[in-house]
Amino acid sequence: MNRPARALSHGFWTCLGCRQLVRVKPATHTCFCPRCGARMHGRVEASLMLTWALTITGALLLIPANVLPVMTVIYLGAGDPSTIISGVFELYHAGFWGIALIVFIASIAVPVMKLVGLVILCLVVQLRLNVPPRQSMRIYRVVSAIGRWSLLDLFMISILVALVDMGAIAEVAAGPGSTAFATVVIVTMFAVRAFDPRLVWDVYESKKTESAAQSAPSGQQL
Amino acid sequence: MEQFSRHEEQPELHEVVWKRACHQCDLLLTRSHAPVGQRLQCPCCGAVLHRNMYRSVAHTAALSLTGLLLFIPTATLPLIEFSLFSFGAENTLMNGVMALFAAGYIWLASIVLFCSVLAPLAKFLLLGFICWGSAWGSMAKPVAKALRWYHHLQEWGMLDVYMLGILVALVKMSDLGKMTIEPGLYCFAAMMVISSATTVSFDAETVWARLARHAQIPRKPVVEPEDDADDDPEQGSGEGVA
Repeated sequence: MNRPARALSHGFWTCLGCRQLVRVKPATHTCFCPRCGARMHGRVEASLMLTWALTITGALLLIPANVLPVMTVIYLGAGDPSTIISGVFELYHAGFWGIALIVFIASIAVPVMKLVGLVILCLVVQLRLNVPPRQSMRIYRVVSAIGRWSLLDLFMISILVALVDMGAIAEVAAGPGSTAFATVVIVTMFAVRAFDPRLVWDVYESKKTESAAQSAPSGQQL
Repeated sequence: MEQFSRHEEQPELHEVVWKRACHQCDLLLTRSHAPVGQRLQCPCCGAVLHRNMYRSVAHTAALSLTGLLLFIPTATLPLIEFSLFSFGAENTLMNGVMALFAAGYIWLASIVLFCSVLAPLAKFLLLGFICWGSAWGSMAKPVAKALRWYHHLQEWGMLDVYMLGILVALVKMSDLGKMTIEPGLYCFAAMMVISSATTVSFDAETVWARLARHAQIPRKPVVEPEDDADDDPEQGSGEGVA
């Protein structure tokens, strides 16, 4: 029965600012890290609630982000507003399928994957699902690594707005969808920051303890 | 049940000296530092706990100075030029932000400004300050603060994403007009590479060890908070999010 030792159950906290191990008195609610001075908690405070809130916000904002136009290319006075998905199709039909794939991954696949990943992580902790923690950690790492790449489309828009500005001949204007999309990216990045991956391991440990307590009497009978 | 708990708790509590805990799965470890040139990885969840690079502080100081110097031409020189008939327009780092701001997209403009200009610049400044400042004991407090700032700021510098955005913009407008690459783009690419190299070479643990040599920063694997349980109602709301 050599269970791996978790810091919290042994009276230790890890400072998330500098990763110093701190021994705290049993009933401590919060304290300051002696090394870097950051406020510490045993687990990120209200982590699950905050992650849920930010994830739901992001999911709702994803609707206007995809329905409203993100930018309009006006060429010789005419031009139709394009949404994120139609921008991808334009690139694909123009023959740049490689770039179209990159834009598709960055601005459609990544935000959706991120939201799905966050919902899975939250559900694992909330409903104490029987998911192997290593699997959850893989989701967590993927979600935290890919998030920033969604801003690709917005950088592109900001470049084009400055570049293509020739009055009546050609002009690129940003659309209201881009604001919603930017907010989706920012909100989901905060959601990942708010999620404490150690909660996944807490659930796993407590389930293991429960099953050990249940199987112990039956083991004695045999 | 009693046998059970005694069996698993006693040897751990009294024999093992814990030195570190994984920040992602809370596993207690008996080692706190990796040997130079290697990294410490959590055996349970696989998270990289710290990477002890060879001459981390010196390399980071040099790289951040390089990045700061490269920032000057990147911010002033045009990155790409777009020409259509006889008209031409150039794009600098700030140009796009200004155009969005003028069009009324203030929120969008500030995100682009923060992620492509302010965060990378602040990153170089903070790392340079941390690496040079950690040599003096009297600088311990501001350096500790800078380390915390850097920790929060780290993921918001998006030079690599911006670079890809430039490439997509180049391709997207290539059938409308003529796109030319300007010298600023080379400086930008170099700054992006330097920025990634700086992130890799920097290790906060090395700086903390260096600070402990010069100032009264605890250098024990386990420390205890000085003031006992201060339960003031003001919750650390910034901690969870920012």
